[in-house]
Amino acid sequence: MSVNMFSQRAVQTSMRRLATIRPTNSSMRILSPAAIATGQIRTAEEPYQDREQEHALTLLPLRLAATSPTSTSLPVSSEEANKLLASQRKNRPVSPHLGIYRPQVTWIPSAMNRVTGSILSGGLYIFGFAYLVAPAFGWHLESATMAATVAAWPVAAKVATKFLIAWPFTFHSFNGLRHLTWDLGAVLTNKQVIVTGWTVIALSFVTALGLTFY
Amino acid sequence: MASTARLGMRCARQLFQPARRVVLRPEHIRQSSPIVSRLAPFTTTTKKSILPPGPQVVHGGVNDPAPVPDPHPTHGSYHWIAERGISVLLVPLTLAPFAAGTLNPTMDAIFCGAMLIHSHLGFQSIITDYVPQWRMPGVRKAFDYLLMLATLVVGIGLYEFETNDVGITEAVKRIWRAGKNDATIEKSNLSGLGYDAKALKGQA
Amino acid sequence: MASLRSATRLAAPARSLFRPAVRSYATIGGEMSRGATPSRPVISEKDTSTIKEPEPEKDSKIKTFHIYRWNPDEPASKPKMQTYTLDLNKTGPMMLDALIRIKNEVDPTLTFRRSCREGICGSCAMNIDGVNTLACLCRIPTETTKESRIYPLPHTYVVKDLVPDLTHFYKQYKSIKPYLQRDTKPGDGRENRQTPEERKKLDGLYECILCACCSTSCPSYWWNSEQYLGPAILLQSYRWLADSRDERKAERKEALENGMSLYRCHTILNCSRTCPKGLNPAKAIAEIKKSMALGS
Repeated sequence: MSVNMFSQRAVQTSMRRLATIRPTNSSMRILSPAAIATGQIRTAEEPYQDREQEHALTLLPLRLAATSPTSTSLPVSSEEANKLLASQRKNRPVSPHLGIYRPQVTWIPSAMNRVTGSILSGGLYIFGFAYLVAPAFGWHLESATMAATVAAWPVAAKVATKFLIAWPFTFHSFNGLRHLTWDLGAVLTNKQVIVTGWTVIALSFVTALGLTFY
Repeated sequence: MASTARLGMRCARQLFQPARRVVLRPEHIRQSSPIVSRLAPFTTTTKKSILPPGPQVVHGGVNDPAPVPDPHPTHGSYHWIAERGISVLLVPLTLAPFAAGTLNPTMDAIFCGAMLIHSHLGFQSIITDYVPQWRMPGVRKAFDYLLMLATLVVGIGLYEFETNDVGITEAVKRIWRAGKNDATIEKSNLSGLGYDAKALKGQA
Repeated sequence: MASLRSATRLAAPARSLFRPAVRSYATIGGEMSRGATPSRPVISEKDTSTIKEPEPEKDSKIKTFHIYRWNPDEPASKPKMQTYTLDLNKTGPMMLDALIRIKNEVDPTLTFRRSCREGICGSCAMNIDGVNTLACLCRIPTETTKESRIYPLPHTYVVKDLVPDLTHFYKQYKSIKPYLQRDTKPGDGRENRQTPEERKKLDGLYECILCACCSTSCPSYWWNSEQYLGPAILLQSYRWLADSRDERKAERKEALENGMSLYRCHTILNCSRTCPKGLNPAKAIAEIKKSMALGS
């Protein structure tokens, strides 16, 4: 694994050096369709000053598209155009999404529903698995032992742990009810969704606190 | 076990960096201009986003409709009904312990099983969403099998717990109330609980 | 590979320097920018220049707009946030007015779609201040202390600046056969008629202008747009399922009877929240799910 990586790195660096010595091949130059059509494929060996002239042209306030000799628009076959489009598509960035979307009482609780569900289910899975393998490792995961262990914890630890379990439970339960209602096609107007959303958040915190100190 | 872990690692790695094979070909090198290759420092750290979308590929012409998948009610409406059914079943089973203290063993077993299925369906939904079949079919298959295996193993574990211990509702109640009503907990006598005795016997 | 990626990133400005001054139509090949992944980060407005209101006056109300820019002529370049300041006293009330003013008076390179300017064509759908809406129906918040941010529709492939590629969206629309399908002709040989009650069921469905605001606000659609149809298309699907005149309902439902097309909807409800026409795609999807479950 690591040997492979190092050899790859060695190849990479040597190839890069090679690239430094030999200028780029024509295959990677920017080609306009007109250039392709007229066979005016520019090579890397063309004089450098030519490029500088081009650069100067780009600095002019107006694009000299019409006057430039390579820009005469020649008909491109639809197949060729599709190919170019397909290759252009590959360069496109994806617009920002999760990072810029406004946090709303629609999608944030929905995401939290999944997160809290994963916490609870993950806990169940970890416990189920650990209980099965416990004898092999000499762990004591019987309810009585665990209760005894928890009983010996300081109050702050108990309260914190209980809240961190209780809140996902209450939130997932209440929000689950909301989801089930929606599946009936009810309570689906924007206003209702907003009101019930905030209600569920408030209710989940209140009941979680209640459970914590139960 | 080790191979499973390795598979998991590989899956995870592929998940976070899909469709990008580190294969060095000369044409890759030629892309970087001479100046740049001298300037670019050798770094291996790049920012990786979770599940980055691949380059845009449009299948078929712009006027062709997107393909319609074959009907599979087991993945469609039946699956949906099963999901909702289990969720609805969980509602009274969750409420009952709050009203009646704890569930009797049969109800407790049903509750435990329903939670397991609900969890399985939930994880399945997560995998379907975040490990798309069309993008990484291999990884998807691995995740699907891993989940099935996990659910099976956890199911056996929970069965052991349900049959050997006090049941999930009672256990949660005892642990939740730990220290408040010590009468129910006999710290000295653990051997009375079947599982522990089995474990001790196995060690001796 | 990683170093190569950064190398191409560094190479980008140099390349743009040497680009020939011809019209840029279809000049950029796929091999050019292998290092540029679709999810490249956006350059923050802090690192770009600000283009100011051309002639600021004394009592001007200067508002700042940060607008997402990406130029396909520099395919390997990162998208960036470009800042513009405008005097609100000289600008129309809507976001589209601001964009048009920027294009006319400040920066003609800014690219966006617009047509009807009254919320009926759906061209100017974009993400404004974090919410998908039509720029022509979105008022500019008048408090000048708050800066506005304009992005293209979220998680779409960007053609240029604020123009997303909706090809796949339209292909999906076509896949649901959005037209009346009948095998029989009405007995009296006249048009296919329906009662006022039946017609009423189509209210709130037929008004959809397919602006894609809802679909691109849906996280499920972000992750699975390849196979999940998304709220807009499903609303349209329901529009034909709810039509009393259509005779291919079973076929239509069968097309949705799989794990991806319909059931990737997890009732997140961003769709209904964001719809600039006030429609309720979430309700339509819930009705489809219900009717598929009941088999009615």
